[in-house]
Amino acid sequence: MTPDPHPPAPSPALVRDLRRRLGDAAVITDPDRLLVYEADGLPHYRRRPSAVVLPLDTDETAWAVERLHGAGVPVVPRGAGTGLSGGALAGPGAVMVGTARMRRILALEPANRRARVQAGVLNADLSRAAAPHGLHYAPDPSSQTACTLGGNVAENSGGPHCLKYGVTRRYVRGLTVVGAGGRVAELGGDAGPGAPDLVGLFVGSEGCFGLATEIEVGLVPVSEGVRTLLAAFARLEEAGAAVTAIIASGLLPAALEILDRATITAVEESVFAAGYPRAAAAVLVVEFDGPDSALDDEADRAEGLCREHGATEVRRARDPDARAQLWKGRKKAFGAMGRLAPDMVVQDATVPRSRLPEVLGRIEAIARAHDLHVANVFHAGDGNLHPNILFDRRDPAWVARVEVASREIMEVCVEAGGTITGEHGVGLDKRPYMALVHGPAELDAMARVRRVFDPQGLWNPGKVLPDGAEGPPWRRDAPPRRAGVRPEAAPRTLEELAATLAEASERGWRVDPLGDTPGWADLELDCRRWGDVERYEPADLTVTAGAAMPLSTLATQTARSGQWWPVDGPGLEGATVGQVVLGAPESAVAARLGGVRDLVLGLALVTGDGRVLRLGGGVVKNVAGFDLVRLVVGSRGALGVLATVTLRLHPRAAVDRSWVLQAPRPEALMGPALEAAALDWPPVAVELGWDDLGATLAVRGMGSAAEVAELRHRLGRVLPAAREADAADGALVRAGLRAPAVGAPGRAPLAGPAGAGDELLARGRTQADEAGAPFAGWLAVDRGRGWVALPGGAGPDPGAGLDDAVAREWAAGLKESFDPAGILPPGPFPAGEPTP
Amino acid sequence: MKGGEAHGPLARALAGEAEALDTCVHCGFCLPACPTYVRLGDEADSPRGRLHLMRAVAEGRLDPVSDAFQSHLDRCLGCRACEPVCPSGVPYGRLLEHARATAREARTPAPATRGFLRLFASSRRIRWVFGLGRLARDTGGARLLSRLLPRMGRLGALRRALLMVAGSAPWRPGVLGGNGTDAASEPSPPRPPPPEATGFATAGVLAGCVQGALYARVGRATAAVLEVHGVDVRPVPGQGCCGALHAHAGDLEGARVRARANIAAFERAGVDRMVVDAAGCGAAMKEYGHWLAHDPAWADRALRLSERTLDVHEAVAVWGPRRGAPLVGTVAYHPPCHLHNAQDVGDAPLRMLAAIPGLEVRRAQGPEECCGGAGIYGVTHPELGGAIGADRARALADTEARCVATGNPGCMMQIAAHLHEEGAAMDVAHPVELLAESYRRAGWIRTRPGGP
Ligand SMILES: Cc1cc2nc3c(=O)[nH]c(=O)nc-3n(C[C@H](O)[C@H](O)[C@H](O)COP(=O)(O)OP(=O)(O)OC[C@H]3O[C@@H](n4cnc5c(N)ncnc54)[C@H](O)[C@@H]3O)c2cc1C
Ligand code: SF4
Ligand code: SF4
Repeated sequence: MTPDPHPPAPSPALVRDLRRRLGDAAVITDPDRLLVYEADGLPHYRRRPSAVVLPLDTDETAWAVERLHGAGVPVVPRGAGTGLSGGALAGPGAVMVGTARMRRILALEPANRRARVQAGVLNADLSRAAAPHGLHYAPDPSSQTACTLGGNVAENSGGPHCLKYGVTRRYVRGLTVVGAGGRVAELGGDAGPGAPDLVGLFVGSEGCFGLATEIEVGLVPVSEGVRTLLAAFARLEEAGAAVTAIIASGLLPAALEILDRATITAVEESVFAAGYPRAAAAVLVVEFDGPDSALDDEADRAEGLCREHGATEVRRARDPDARAQLWKGRKKAFGAMGRLAPDMVVQDATVPRSRLPEVLGRIEAIARAHDLHVANVFHAGDGNLHPNILFDRRDPAWVARVEVASREIMEVCVEAGGTITGEHGVGLDKRPYMALVHGPAELDAMARVRRVFDPQGLWNPGKVLPDGAEGPPWRRDAPPRRAGVRPEAAPRTLEELAATLAEASERGWRVDPLGDTPGWADLELDCRRWGDVERYEPADLTVTAGAAMPLSTLATQTARSGQWWPVDGPGLEGATVGQVVLGAPESAVAARLGGVRDLVLGLALVTGDGRVLRLGGGVVKNVAGFDLVRLVVGSRGALGVLATVTLRLHPRAAVDRSWVLQAPRPEALMGPALEAAALDWPPVAVELGWDDLGATLAVRGMGSAAEVAELRHRLGRVLPAAREADAADGALVRAGLRAPAVGAPGRAPLAGPAGAGDELLARGRTQADEAGAPFAGWLAVDRGRGWVALPGGAGPDPGAGLDDAVAREWAAGLKESFDPAGILPPGPFPAGEPTP
Repeated sequence: MKGGEAHGPLARALAGEAEALDTCVHCGFCLPACPTYVRLGDEADSPRGRLHLMRAVAEGRLDPVSDAFQSHLDRCLGCRACEPVCPSGVPYGRLLEHARATAREARTPAPATRGFLRLFASSRRIRWVFGLGRLARDTGGARLLSRLLPRMGRLGALRRALLMVAGSAPWRPGVLGGNGTDAASEPSPPRPPPPEATGFATAGVLAGCVQGALYARVGRATAAVLEVHGVDVRPVPGQGCCGALHAHAGDLEGARVRARANIAAFERAGVDRMVVDAAGCGAAMKEYGHWLAHDPAWADRALRLSERTLDVHEAVAVWGPRRGAPLVGTVAYHPPCHLHNAQDVGDAPLRMLAAIPGLEVRRAQGPEECCGGAGIYGVTHPELGGAIGADRARALADTEARCVATGNPGCMMQIAAHLHEEGAAMDVAHPVELLAESYRRAGWIRTRPGGP
């Protein structure tokens, strides 16, 4: 799918057509006016589009894309053009479709804590609109006053507070996408639990899969109180060590940001001087949010840890003005540095947190070697670095030095186990570095996935993937070379597993990776030996383990370091890590700590045709290419055999309590459950489990003693009758929320807006009645997600939850790209429809 | 490419500003602040886009005669809402003036703009025209005539102009009740501070052109308030139009002529400060130093006047405001762009209004948004200026205050015209008029500051 180097520009007739439908003002073709669209937030790339189209809504967008693609004209989406990787640029022959006039907030549902917006709505505008309801949109890129939610979706943007709250992907619930040829797809939303995560895959696709016109997002309560600390350190390493200590202690700050000496100097010498201690080698900004009464305790502990690790000074802010003062230097760092030279590259890379000090030292050495001024500001909590390099674009030698240094910095980060971009995306700028983090097989897999969405190569061509990334398609008569490795039914190495699957594909032998599709397998694969911990990095809170490792073993091993993989819910006993990853069951603690999909950082998978893919990595923030990990998680073995997974761990909280209520029928508990979920400082989980014998409501609180005490106090008001249970007791209660095991099918997903609990229960009852099963099930009430049990092991049909025809087609295409011979079970993927 | 070769000397003029242009890092933070971008959605009508066009001219990649350069610069309100949000400190207002000069030299401006500039070229002509305007306003003829004209087209522009003239009618002190002093009032009259404490003992008040003709009452209120504060207000003969409209339209030479005349008048009068109650004029006078920086005979003198120019809100803040008698009621404050963005005077007007006992100050949704008045914008771009003005008037009307307060004659007329169109019964006053009324009711000012 190498893009056509000379695509046709839109013809005069096509332009006339567009004008007639969209209006003159919405179609720009004057080359002089188009100059302003030649750059985005990284202005040393310049490419002038042949036209810009500014539709008002999905219909107009679809209509325009249909015409343009119909004429073979490539289309590039553009939001506000604040991107920092050259992603929103359209070369000659391509047309830019902008969302600047799609600025309507379509629905704001405070009760369900969600909103639906047009793609051109600005990030900060959504939070402003939600503020009167005590809610906000959590991901907060520093550019939030200017960037669009469409751009955020395309880049999977993060921000300082994503340490606690997670990045864009965690908040996107549904999308309306205009795809290739102008076909419109509805992805996700209430309809799609259990279906392949097309929404998650689309997030971070940088305009290469289509244009999102409408976005449904989750909102979170504005936290009641905030405490901000600023700690100064004489050595950068000490600041790094303080960060590690804070994270390891179980404290969960909302933000942990470091500025290095060069940045402090730049800020203090500018008009934005924030009064940061100039002698310091680093300052660390730590912020906590939550219920007011618990915050001083957290701030005290963090201050203690900073001092223990050598902080020379710690300042603290309680009120908004003082807080703004502590943040000022961080917020203005970009502008302050921008004033030092005509141009600046804002670099972006992620490394495992424990490697930060070492990597920073090496970046400094690179800067010195190339005689460059590099200043670092970073999201220290997630190891996301922003080395900013100053230069003058009119000096070609200087530009060349910046390019060499940028590459060296990327190499250092990748060597340290990191990646080439944590939040700004690949776009044009990082394309040459893609091969540093991905092998040919992974790039090829991404290219195939892209082709499913964009068979003709007409969406944002020339971005993200290097040219020639896609290999030849699988053909039965052209078996891949296997370098002397023999297929084995009980493979010991990845190579053997790959050989086995390649052979199976050639011969048409069917394989069932999870062993849960009765009557499917021709070949019994034995992967039980893939059950060891490959690598555990407590300091980075990551673990890489074989897919066959029992969840209970993982729990025991990580508990020794006071950590856990926070996936919780009934029916997990006896499951393996691989089963949980491929099954992606709803987790009770997902609202606070992320669901299974948010907690898998990387994995090794062997596809149906025997390709070994090492996807993702070992860092928390990673937007280097399309997120195939997201697609594999929850794929129920339809895409390949899982060998290893890298998981994101969390420190165990100091206190873990549950409050329990029981009743004969779940309906009686729904009111109290909703009240608990609607507390303005919500619990970590609100779960309801039931069968024909009775129903149990479990509300769980985790955190510092003060935090849990605060929850106890508030719960006392809404659930006075609840019995308090300690962690172990609570676990027993939760295990008793009766349920089929994870590996076993036999449950139909249930989902709706969090807050519409009664309606969900009614729907569940109908579903069970129709299937002739006793009414049993489980619901994470605060998420509005769960399932009802079905009789006799019957699972949801493949493709269930994918009502949209275009979405079904994409899902079928994705399955085929991983399993061209169709030897793996369908899982949640619908069968491919015959291509017209 | 070396600046400006492809398009000759004009492009080179802008290339002289290359360093200032280069401070723009293309971050896009200014886009949502820009009233034209927010409404049109075309980046060419955004600050970053306009700067990019300027840069393209400076680089010789764009002809200053081109439609793109001409029309997008022309459509800029000059409100400078893009400046305070810019992390890199791009001096947009200054660059705009240079760009407009370049655009104007490349191509003669539109007839409406030309007509206005010719009008403002002579103080006699100004007096005449606005004298007629005042007559039309006071007899009700302006409003009557406006009813007969269509909303759109060339006559629509005339209609808008008439509505603006009608809108300059004085506010009615009756809408804010209250009588005598109350507990919050200070004992009258307050004792003025010694001149050493305030740094100025004498001041002149800029009469200006539009204010002079349609808002003479505001000038009187300014003088009366300053006198209460112990300032000796002296006449400044020979002063005239500040030159702002010329500079905004790209006639930098015309602007300089006016600046020199005012500098000379100021020096002759020998006052410590020039106090300005029209934000647009004050912003311009604070730029005199920059306008004349390359004129060796005038540079220092211009800078001196710029440094000695105070907006009336700043002047009042030097020793005050004092708490006079109550005005009971509600007022919606609208910050003029040339005060808030160009002069960075944000709090002083709010403090001034807050000092008036009994007065409740409200802010409109999007408290700092432009009213679309922008000098003659409402007349040269009736459609866009009209849309912006209508949005602003609606937001102000939504506060349900009795009165709008704003410190610039252009804004006062624009807002009054649009409030009228929206059918909102709100009076429009300059904050210093309200303060003067409070002082008057306290008995600190003897003459009645109201009247036309
Ligand atoms: C000063 C500054 C600070 C920043 N800070 C952060 C930060 O803290 N964290 C962070 O993550 N990023 C940050 N960014 C980067 C940037 O703001 C984000 O990437 C943002 O999400 C881009 O949004 P946009 O609307 O400007 O998109 P654009 O730049 O217009 O487009 C970005 C990409 O998204 C695609 N796209 C845009 N809209 C759509 C759509 N509706 N459907 C499909 N594709 C679309 C485009 O094709 C392009 O590939 C910063 C940028 C600047 C200038
Ligand atoms: S905010 Fe300033 S630096 Fe950023 S694009 Fe606008 S003018 Fe340029
Ligand atoms: S001066 Fe006002 S209208 Fe002009 S670019 Fe700046 S914000 Fe936009």
